[in-house]
Amino acid sequence: MSRPERAPRSVVAAFLLSALGAAGFAASYVLGLGNEALGGCLGGSFAFLALGLARWSSLIDAGEPDYVEERSVGPTPQGQYDAFRRALTEQPVPRSRVLWGALGTAVAAIGGAALFPLRSLLPAMGTDPDDVLAHTPWRAGDRLVTEEGTPVRPSDLEVGGTVTVFPEGLDPREHVDTTTVLVRVDPADLRLPAGRAGWVVDGVVAYSKLCTHAGCPVGLYTDTSRQLMCPCHHSVFDVTDGARPVEGPAPHALPQLPLATDGSGYLVARGDFSGPVGPGWGNH
Amino acid sequence: MTERPGHSRTRARLLCAAAVLLAAAVLALTGVRSTATTTQASSGAAAADPGDGREVFLRDCAWCHGTDGSGTHNGPALTDVGAEAADFYLRTGRMPLDSPDQDVRSGPPAYDDATISALVAYVGSLGNGPGIPALAAGDAAAGRKLFLENCAACHSSSGTGTIVSGGQPAPELWHTGKRQVAEAMRVGPGPMPPFDEKQLDPQQVDDIVAYVHQLGSPQDPGGAGLDQYGPIVEGAVALLVLLPCLVVVIRLLGRRAPERSSSESEEDR
Amino acid sequence: MVSLLPRPRPMRKLDERLEFASTGRSVLAKVFPDHWSFMMGEIALYSFVFLVASGIYLTLFFEPSSAMEVYHGHYRPLEGQEVSAAYASSVRLSWDVRGGLLVRQAHHWAAHLFIGSIVLHLCRIFLTGAFRRPRELNWTIGVTMLILGIFNAYAGYSLPDDLLSGTGLRIFNSVAASVPVVGSWLSFLVFDGEFPGQEIIQRLYVLHVLLVPALLAVLITAHLAILIRQKHTHFPGPGRRPSNVVGSRVWPAYALRSLSLLAAVFAAVLLAGGLLQINPVWAWGDFDPATITAPSVADWYILWIEGALRLFPPVEFHVFGLLVPNQFWPGVVLPGLIFGGLYLWPWLDRRWTGDRETHHLTGSPRESPLRVAFASAMLTFLAVLLVAGSEELLVQWTGWTVAAVRNVLRVLVFVLPVVAGLLGWWLAESLRRSGLGHAIELGGKDLLAGLPRRRRADS
Repeated sequence: MSRPERAPRSVVAAFLLSALGAAGFAASYVLGLGNEALGGCLGGSFAFLALGLARWSSLIDAGEPDYVEERSVGPTPQGQYDAFRRALTEQPVPRSRVLWGALGTAVAAIGGAALFPLRSLLPAMGTDPDDVLAHTPWRAGDRLVTEEGTPVRPSDLEVGGTVTVFPEGLDPREHVDTTTVLVRVDPADLRLPAGRAGWVVDGVVAYSKLCTHAGCPVGLYTDTSRQLMCPCHHSVFDVTDGARPVEGPAPHALPQLPLATDGSGYLVARGDFSGPVGPGWGNH
Repeated sequence: MTERPGHSRTRARLLCAAAVLLAAAVLALTGVRSTATTTQASSGAAAADPGDGREVFLRDCAWCHGTDGSGTHNGPALTDVGAEAADFYLRTGRMPLDSPDQDVRSGPPAYDDATISALVAYVGSLGNGPGIPALAAGDAAAGRKLFLENCAACHSSSGTGTIVSGGQPAPELWHTGKRQVAEAMRVGPGPMPPFDEKQLDPQQVDDIVAYVHQLGSPQDPGGAGLDQYGPIVEGAVALLVLLPCLVVVIRLLGRRAPERSSSESEEDR
Repeated sequence: MVSLLPRPRPMRKLDERLEFASTGRSVLAKVFPDHWSFMMGEIALYSFVFLVASGIYLTLFFEPSSAMEVYHGHYRPLEGQEVSAAYASSVRLSWDVRGGLLVRQAHHWAAHLFIGSIVLHLCRIFLTGAFRRPRELNWTIGVTMLILGIFNAYAGYSLPDDLLSGTGLRIFNSVAASVPVVGSWLSFLVFDGEFPGQEIIQRLYVLHVLLVPALLAVLITAHLAILIRQKHTHFPGPGRRPSNVVGSRVWPAYALRSLSLLAAVFAAVLLAGGLLQINPVWAWGDFDPATITAPSVADWYILWIEGALRLFPPVEFHVFGLLVPNQFWPGVVLPGLIFGGLYLWPWLDRRWTGDRETHHLTGSPRESPLRVAFASAMLTFLAVLLVAGSEELLVQWTGWTVAAVRNVLRVLVFVLPVVAGLLGWWLAESLRRSGLGHAIELGGKDLLAGLPRRRRADS
């Protein structure tokens, strides 16, 4: 192999440019030049480092043959393997099966017992998830308020308008299942399921905002078609027909909240939703 | 010594391929949703009749909205929409339409400023509809909260816009004027629900307008904004630009498979 | 040969204590086959190194807490607003910590690269048959790392508690709850009760920063140890036999090439982190479970599940009185089948091809038209699901309704993979029979020869 007199220029240049890039990064940091400068300089520095190393390795490669190394192909020869097995299983103590079995029982018991503290990851004793999921805190007489806490009158919404409401007095973040969407439609357009005529006030209908497919808030309201659409998987619900799903993967309608007005004309609930809110779950 | 015939040619080809790939990716990304906002061909020329909005109305609008604005089977009545709606539809180029079946989309306005003002004044005079909203300075921080609650589901929290049921667009908000944002909230054009004063008072509208306005100004400190569209575009960049670049790198660093010889198989077991 | 290290003295002192010289010499002389496709796994390895390094920096500034705090900083629209500490610290990292945004963005781009290169690496192993005996164990470890990597990336982008990722957590909660019999308990276990609870960010943090990276580090070590013990596979060629390895020596050639790749990976993610904005959490807004943004989608490595959730019809029924919720099939069963199939593949392959031999020479993809067909079909299937996850973009481009796009995709998701599988088989078979170097060189006669009916002629 010939010995070159000087370091290859391209490699040295690449490394020096890399150093320059690093200096540029430091300067960009001190001067506050922003994300593009920081990333461009440091990224560029590494890029030149990569180039220099690649060029260096290709210079070495140019003079290198293919190397060959032997590899063992098969399993250990039988004799050696038998010796290993004997060394592993030789036991000077009699009735070792019983001993191993007892040890195994101890280890299994410890392992099983160690799983019990995982219960602490679940909420306190006495909460049955199926019960909790089946109901929401909405009760008859609860006023409907916006996220800011303002109660709502039917006339506050224009026909075609929509707003998200919660029961008065509860923290919306702690009781997500109470999230309700109010929509005002022309009463003549309503074709609700039987028995729900009294659940509407002046064309204002209330449905659970949680999609029955995967629980996302059904946030898109199109007032020309009077449809609520969920942006996660594009389920569409017909507001005039009990929020029945008209397309998409949602399997059942959004539960409806029965409405009335109180003495001051504000909207109140007449009870909980017509069914469990959100998507179906495994034990239901 | 390993022969590598044509290695430098292959390398040059690879570098060219990499450069083309990058350039194509950059071009594609800068126009990533260019087809989303279609521009509308304007029927009436910008040649205006500034003195009398009525003449323009009769020429361009009456055939759908009626000579007195009371509507026809082609278009709704304009008697109570007021200057507010007229200003919105005209300044965002949604009106006039070339034909009644045409989709209502935003685009460059069909008329110049003076003609629009005249038309708006005329339509406003047709009935008792709301006037153009007066705007005051708003608090973008308060507007952010209201925007997320009321607008983000359709227009996206970054204002990049998306689709609503039926496939109509909820457009991006970065190029909409402040007044038009306020007007849209009150009017509820097309599939958009309206928000009247009892739902969002004028201060809240000002706050939302202030927030939307700052969405439009460049606020991409992280580099190219990729339309702030989200994971779909980011994933496409990762899979179609970032990963292929590194594949090119290892293709240049590593070697190709050795030439095959005819009797190559598992000898020597 | 030029001396690569000019200062031998300190090393001699170390050798006096550790006596590593002869082991060291054999390590340096180890031979590594150096085909370019063997470096895909290294891209993943070096992405992981960057993820750990940048991740450590991020942990110094991120607060994994759902407790509310008031944001004060450079991002004006959030000034004075009450948001979770996780969200506030993420916005501060992006706007108030100099260099923080670069590290955050480079970290996220590196995650994309990590999973993408694992998938590429998996495809190479699959198509060349390198999972066959004696490497089934390493295949199993590799599939496990893919699953862990996907989970950790999902946990990572959910940490900032923003509106986009919070919605993703809601979907995760619903899918967990959809497991029959135990679903509601499972979701309550993960979230400490009803969604969203106060614990999920903290729990995801422990998983993302400690448990999963530690597990990945152990698995990577095992993966590499097995690789070193068995030695890498190599392609057939002059002088290459199952009983040897032909290639470059580890030192200096291979090591320098590998270090160059390390630097290139770092360069790529830092350039991307500097020039291409990703996951602007300040723009998405803080998580409010009553609110949502759109498009509401996940990163691509989860998006295929979202696509399946979108395309699956609104089917729901009861079995023995218990509900099998709709989201169970695309959310749990489909990923279970795909990953289960991946785990089982070495044994399925053995069964279908009858090949139980030990292999140290791998073939090119064409030698197994079955594997080419499977890979084409599976990748096409996943690609259609990704397209389904991007329905919004399609609707905006074509002007069709969402329903129309959805129905077209529902058909394509079955038809296209079958077509791709058949085409893949045909291409591989034609290439195999023709003995040509490149697919481009195939002529009409070669393609005809690849068709199934011709095979009877040359039994």
